[in-house]
Amino acid sequence: MSVGLEHYLILSAVLFSIGLYGALAKRNAVVILMCIEIMLNAVNIALVAFSRYVVPVLLTGQIFAIFVMVVAAAEAAVGIAIIIAIYRSRESVDVEKFDLMKW
Amino acid sequence: MIVSELHLMTPELSLLGFALVVILLDLFIKQKKVLAGVSIAGLIVSAGFTLAMWGAPTIDIFYAMLAVDRFALFFKFLLLAAAGLIILASQDYVSKFERFQGEYYALVLISAVGMMLLTAAADLISIYVALELSGISLYVLASFLKDQKSTEAGLKYLLLGAVASAVLLYGMALVFGLTGKTCLLCIADVVETMPIAGLLDNPALLLGIILLAAGFGFKIACVPFQMWVPDVYEGAPTPITAYLSVASKAAGFAVIVRVFFVALGAPSWLSIDWGILFAILSAITMTLGNVVAIVQTNIKRMLGYSSIAQAGYLMVGLATVGVAVGADALGRSGLLFFLMSYAVTNLGAFIAVIAISNKIDSDLIGDYTGMGKRAPLLAVALTLCLVSLIGLPPTAGLIAKIYIFNAAVHHGLLWLVIVAVINSCISAYYYLRVVKVMWLGAPVSEEKVPSSWALRASLSLCCLGVLLLGVIPGSFVGMAEAAVRIFGS
Amino acid sequence: MLADYGYIGLLLIVAILFTVSMPLLALSLSFLGIIPRKSNPDKTSTYECGMETIGKTWVQFNFRYYLYAIIFVALDVLTVFLYPWAVNLKELGLLGLISVAVFFAILVVGYIYAWRKGALEWK
Repeated sequence: MSVGLEHYLILSAVLFSIGLYGALAKRNAVVILMCIEIMLNAVNIALVAFSRYVVPVLLTGQIFAIFVMVVAAAEAAVGIAIIIAIYRSRESVDVEKFDLMKW
Repeated sequence: MIVSELHLMTPELSLLGFALVVILLDLFIKQKKVLAGVSIAGLIVSAGFTLAMWGAPTIDIFYAMLAVDRFALFFKFLLLAAAGLIILASQDYVSKFERFQGEYYALVLISAVGMMLLTAAADLISIYVALELSGISLYVLASFLKDQKSTEAGLKYLLLGAVASAVLLYGMALVFGLTGKTCLLCIADVVETMPIAGLLDNPALLLGIILLAAGFGFKIACVPFQMWVPDVYEGAPTPITAYLSVASKAAGFAVIVRVFFVALGAPSWLSIDWGILFAILSAITMTLGNVVAIVQTNIKRMLGYSSIAQAGYLMVGLATVGVAVGADALGRSGLLFFLMSYAVTNLGAFIAVIAISNKIDSDLIGDYTGMGKRAPLLAVALTLCLVSLIGLPPTAGLIAKIYIFNAAVHHGLLWLVIVAVINSCISAYYYLRVVKVMWLGAPVSEEKVPSSWALRASLSLCCLGVLLLGVIPGSFVGMAEAAVRIFGS
Repeated sequence: MLADYGYIGLLLIVAILFTVSMPLLALSLSFLGIIPRKSNPDKTSTYECGMETIGKTWVQFNFRYYLYAIIFVALDVLTVFLYPWAVNLKELGLLGLISVAVFFAILVVGYIYAWRKGALEWK
């Protein structure tokens, strides 16, 4: 049995689901950011695998993945900055305590 | 050749250049008022380039990454106008972050660049990058005040926005995997020739479309991706709230129309399928927005829910585009006209709120009591905008609603229009409550509510827009129709 | 394909044998009294060499590291765009060079910003 497209896609789907679960269920804002990174990297795996198996000559998926990586870094930088700002005023990074505004 | 195509990107490039100039100027000069002037100048230059390109032929540039067509130019102009009005209206507000004015203006300009690219993007890669460029700048702007509410708003916006963009990206990956293409026109070619008779024959495509709709749905705040809206709108600086509710939403609708109509509009069953999807979401969105808005006590939050409801009305246009299967352009031009009227109306309402709240230091509707006597002009402007949001004559809101609902009825979405009309009646209750408080309530003090000339100018422009679109809509309708003609039919 | 997995399996078996045999060897040697059993504080400490640790492990790092980290994260990933360009340097020619120059000019604006705002100083 050889490793084919479906294996990469299953890996990608599993990683994406883990990330999504973590992003929705975790309470620590930093951990949520990490889970979002997992989701984006899961997508990267899918993109690169599709690129390799669907359009082997072109590098569309790989290029897409590079853009995703850069955007993810920018997002993480901004995310950490906002978490620092909120930690300074609240002394906490627990998202369940950020409930000044409801309904 | 790429160099020869650069001049077709001048609106974005010039604006980006001005944004960099603002960042650098901020570091070396003391007089911060200059920065606002430079930003406005940048927007005007960019708008000039946009106008100059209106007559140019439709082409795709940079290996079909971006489309240069009237549809994009229409939205670019709308976004530039919105950004300009926001910067004018911020003049009374920037004292709250005196040290960071340069960043503020630069970020507004950069997010405008992102949204402009988003409306022109014709490839999944460029769509994603443009979406994130506008998104990340807006995350920062939302938490700009650095107080508890603002940072909370920023964090919520960032976390939910990042999850939404990851979901969108997964949808893009699936679509790319199924078609092997990322450019929208190429995707359309492949999808059209797929040997399937319905979405259920190809679950991966179904999943891809649902994930795409979810990711974009976050941007336009349709149910069930609306939960960030009230919190972010309440916590963010008010000019940014206005910017989010108008510019970000307009760009979101532009990209949805382009992706779904260009890439997924080809087999008629597919078009009808997503048309129905948007019709159902539209009905739920407007109902939820209107019902929850009734109980709000904070005016920014109320306008937040109202903007969810307005997104619902706008989605009636989206549903029409899908159900009509490219048969006519009425749905699309209706969507564009509605966005135009919604932009001036909502900006006007928020600018009036900026002026009043800045003085009385409160966003509570109860504190607006007697504003008709304390600040008659501001109260008149706010009343006009609220009336337009309900959709009563002689304002833009009425024409826009008639236009968009007419198109929907024409294509058999009568049930949706009935829901929308009932919703408009519900919405009158909470909009008119504000009007009643302002004019019939007793003022808590005799103190006047002063505002800067810049803010008054932007508010006057918005009110003028509301009236012009309401009284002589003809030429604006013509503009919207010219903008959608590029999509064939 | 399956044969390739065979090599991995062989390595796995060697790895398991090694990890099981080594502790067993050590234990049996000490059981037989070949290895002397003399304990002293240096032997039982967490690190046998280097500085004694001071305080708890869970300390908050100085806030200033964060500014460096954030500038690093945002800017170092951007170098990923240089790889595709570097690989095709010849084919892309002057146009590619100019594009990368513009790209860097924008980055430099970011550096100037960080520098003027004092983010690069250790106050």
